[in-house]
Amino acid sequence: MIHVHDLTYRYPGQSRPALLDVNLDVPAGQFCAVVGANAAGKSTLCYALTGFVPHFYRGKLQGTISVAGRDLLQTPPGELAGEIGLVFQNPFNQITGARFTVREEVAFGLENLGLPREEILSRIDEALALTGLADVADRSPYALSGGQQQRLAIASMVVMRPRVLVLDEPTSQLDPVGTREVFAALSALAAAGDTTVVLAEHKLEWLAAFAQRVVALSGGQIVADGPPREVLTSPEIKGCGVGQTRYTQAARVAQRDGLVPADKPLPITLQQAIDFFT
Amino acid sequence: MSETFSIYLARESGLHRLHPLTKLALAGFSMVAGLALPGLWLTYAAFAVVMLPVAAWGKILGAYARAVWRLLLPFAVSLLLVQGLFWTGGTPLIRVGPLSLKLEGVIFAVRSSGRILLVTGGFLLLALSTRPDALMIALAQRGMPRSIAYIVLTTLQIVPRFQAKADAILDAQRSRGLETEGNILRRVRALLPLIVPLVLGSILDIEERAIALEARGFSHPGPKTSLLVLADSASQVAARWGLLAGMVVLIVARLVAGCWA
Amino acid sequence: MNLLLEDVTFTYPSGVVALREVSLTIASGEVVALVGENGAGKTTLAKLANGLLKPQRGRVLVGESDTRQRSIAQLARHVGYVFQNPDEQLFERTVWAEVAFGPRNLGHAEAEVRASVEAALAQVGLAAEAQRHPYDLNASQRKLVALAATLAMNTSALILDEPTTGQDAGGIALLAELVEGLKKKGRTVVTISHDVDFCMEHFERAVVMSGGRILADGPVAAILSDAELLARANVEPPQLVRLAAALGLSPSPRTPDEFAALLAAQAGR
Repeated sequence: MIHVHDLTYRYPGQSRPALLDVNLDVPAGQFCAVVGANAAGKSTLCYALTGFVPHFYRGKLQGTISVAGRDLLQTPPGELAGEIGLVFQNPFNQITGARFTVREEVAFGLENLGLPREEILSRIDEALALTGLADVADRSPYALSGGQQQRLAIASMVVMRPRVLVLDEPTSQLDPVGTREVFAALSALAAAGDTTVVLAEHKLEWLAAFAQRVVALSGGQIVADGPPREVLTSPEIKGCGVGQTRYTQAARVAQRDGLVPADKPLPITLQQAIDFFT
Repeated sequence: MSETFSIYLARESGLHRLHPLTKLALAGFSMVAGLALPGLWLTYAAFAVVMLPVAAWGKILGAYARAVWRLLLPFAVSLLLVQGLFWTGGTPLIRVGPLSLKLEGVIFAVRSSGRILLVTGGFLLLALSTRPDALMIALAQRGMPRSIAYIVLTTLQIVPRFQAKADAILDAQRSRGLETEGNILRRVRALLPLIVPLVLGSILDIEERAIALEARGFSHPGPKTSLLVLADSASQVAARWGLLAGMVVLIVARLVAGCWA
Repeated sequence: MNLLLEDVTFTYPSGVVALREVSLTIASGEVVALVGENGAGKTTLAKLANGLLKPQRGRVLVGESDTRQRSIAQLARHVGYVFQNPDEQLFERTVWAEVAFGPRNLGHAEAEVRASVEAALAQVGLAAEAQRHPYDLNASQRKLVALAATLAMNTSALILDEPTTGQDAGGIALLAELVEGLKKKGRTVVTISHDVDFCMEHFERAVVMSGGRILADGPVAAILSDAELLARANVEPPQLVRLAAALGLSPSPRTPDEFAALLAAQAGR
């Protein structure tokens, strides 16, 4: 579904590449997380997977990007709407401003795609239910809290049923319960097989529980790529600004103090930690 | 809609159910009538006999009358004073010290106010009884570029947003010790820390907003559909054509008749 | 400088009652975490503490002053507020000038301002970026600039509104060091945070809020280990608390080292 080959990209006027020799293949229906320090290239990668790099940001790009069967270098982002979706961090900027209720806001993308009205109506209800916004469907998008606005941004994209959904830190305003709900919803979407999800995030605890694969970026390069447990406990991650879950930290300290054998694989979730220590 | 800079009032009424373009045509006709009708009192009569009952039908009579009053009264009064007091020559009606109110000036003011009443009265009816997005969609369906519709609608919602953002900036800068009350020098110095984040922030936002719009298919090729259904009917279509014809007739008649009093 | 909320009720113009008869005393030098789900009233409480909001009922005292009798700028001498969105305050052409804005407003002498700015920039690791335009920095760096801008004011109390949101591990480590440093200097620090792990490790007192009321208030370890309380408040317990509970270890550890110590103690038995 996603094939990135030898991708190197520089923003206009920058000498240091934001992405360097990135190779990434993501199969359909996978829930793939991207981690890394700020400025490591997570957002740039998200934009590259949705065509905004290079079409919107210009700059110099080498390599190839193919998503959902489309050559992104040849296709303007506007044409990709409906097949590739992007949700980014600031929920406020994702409200179109041209619609006066949440329901109509969610419908905006489908109107642009020219879907018939009955189809739009049924999809809206589905998207609102998935993101827990059914109660506020008739309110103005601007009357919502920050967290609700983030859910709205996600609902507005999910409703378009893209084959690939890219999200760049979409849970910053949500409390942990809300974050868990979003991760669970994304996981369910991917599991249903229709959607490939790429999620750039810092919140390791939730990635550990829901993602099937973690790609770690540092200085624009991929430094680790594999199952969450492997990547989030690997030594390559250490200098990368990614951090560790408290479970991993506790396990490391226990190993350092000789309380647990040094070769036991480190845990990243609660259950793995329980198993680790018993 | 307090999040929107619009005066639309939602009601269950026949007026509200009319197609937006019908109401636009009515507003246009009213505007032309206001400019073309002869005499002093016809405009006021038209307002009382046509506009007010229509407002009542739309269940917005109170709001409409208030809006008209608030909008036109200051204008009418200043017109009366300016034209009445400074009309050169003419017959004095009332003397107040060295100034006198001239009859011709008063007549001019009354006639002009009547015109303005009809010109704006129709658009006020439109604005009070029509959702802005319904009007924009109706126009877009008739060929108006979608980008214009988008700009109009977002502007309506952006104005309150700006206010909210300005308030947040004010809070933040005050929390950093910025005094905003006091002498004029202090207030002027307080402007930069308030305006720059507002402007810069808005400029930075534009890039992301453009990306978000693209991602939602704003420039996706192909025909667009609409969630909002605008009810129309053959009689309304006929009415709109009739109003358009009526506008033309009025304009021609006015031109032909030359200067009417 | 004590912060006191006495029977405070606050309703927003929209009609939402955000705080109901809340009383809270924060003594000088305390390090307090306000936790609770979105909408519980944490931000409202924090904004009442620095005078941004004035209570409709009850009163808020900053030291001896009732917040209703002081302007926000006057209260800013004593209580610094670090907002979540730095883009709603950055306006100077250099990071240095931005950080100097606060202390200059407070009327500090230029030499003192210079010292405060340099110290604050060092604390947030942005000394090298002092001459750059704030908007040339990335979002998490801008957040640190806003933090430095309030630190430089050297207020006795500091309110941090979701400081760890959007920060990577390096940023969080920096914040941890910062909070520990403020503790040593005896400053009062209040944070609103969803990051219960961070609160557990670096804060001493936790106030749990829900529905505009304070559900519980006490030492952070005791409060954040109370599973039933946290469930009522719709708050997830810290990771180490959950792990310790599952393994039957007590009392709840605040750091991985404490956890290891508990484990060793259990093994020793």
